[in-house]
Amino acid sequence: MLDAFAKWVVTTRLSAFVTGRPWVWPASETLHFIGLCLLVGAVGLMDLRMLGVAKRIPFAPLFRLVPWGVLGFAINLVTGVLFLAGHPEQYVHNGAFQLKMFFVLLAGINVVLFNLTVFRKTAALGPGDDAPTGARIMAAVSLFLWFGVMYLGRMLPYIGNSF
Amino acid sequence: MNIWLEQTAFGTWVREGSSFWGYPTILFLHTVGMACVAGFAAIVDLRVLGVASDIPLSPIDRLFPIMWAGFWVNALSGTALYIADATTKFTNPAFAVKMTFVALGVVTVHLLRTRVIRHPAADTGPMPAGAKLLAATSLVCWLGAITAGRLMAYVGPVSGLPIN
Repeated sequence: MLDAFAKWVVTTRLSAFVTGRPWVWPASETLHFIGLCLLVGAVGLMDLRMLGVAKRIPFAPLFRLVPWGVLGFAINLVTGVLFLAGHPEQYVHNGAFQLKMFFVLLAGINVVLFNLTVFRKTAALGPGDDAPTGARIMAAVSLFLWFGVMYLGRMLPYIGNSF
Repeated sequence: MNIWLEQTAFGTWVREGSSFWGYPTILFLHTVGMACVAGFAAIVDLRVLGVASDIPLSPIDRLFPIMWAGFWVNALSGTALYIADATTKFTNPAFAVKMTFVALGVVTVHLLRTRVIRHPAADTGPMPAGAKLLAATSLVCWLGAITAGRLMAYVGPVSGLPIN
């Protein structure tokens, strides 16, 4: 199934766009790292605050950074799709890639759970307040998953065979 | 000098050692450091430029030790990566551009902390004149450093692809 997917992907116009123009891959790599910084900067700061760093920041204004984290994620989703479209053979059987995607999925589930459970309670907290235990656990999970995503992404050429 | 650096036992180990703990791990550390420095610098810059302007400035001071830790991780991991491929990196124009942006970026981060975040009236009065220009310069420097750093793998003399 993965091979059929890879075979189909390389026939798409998107794949031709990525492989046919020499600037697309370097530009996408650059944007992927900029997106990484935006995502980890915004999400990391919110996670650290929940874990007790910079406690004098109230949560409500901090959550206004969420769109910037989402922007970083969107940049990386688009550029990631370009990588996959251009050279699917590098990724579909790559264990590091598969685990990376699983971590991204878990991070997404973590965000949904956070919103469904302690988001309201946390957003109401002011300067100096401690985040609820549930929020602390989800913040630690979030940091672990995103740094795991970075690790697995960096290992793509070494555990697997992509560049 | 650069040829000698490359041929040191350390340079050879980083570049050619089959150890998983050599090149890949150093690259990962370099990425973590980048996220800590450029990621948090970007958030501080955006805040100073007016994003989420109800976040108080003074508690942001707590982020700077993390940014400096990230900087030192990258100074060390970057030195190791340089030693491994000194001759190609030295002659790659993107490397010089990157170092310039990093040096300027470090200055802007220091100035943002001392002049804006630690300003006595940080949370009460208006921001000092030039704060936004400083933040915009910082943002440009880190975007430039990341871009030049990534392009080192594509322009000019490129270090040999690390072995699998």
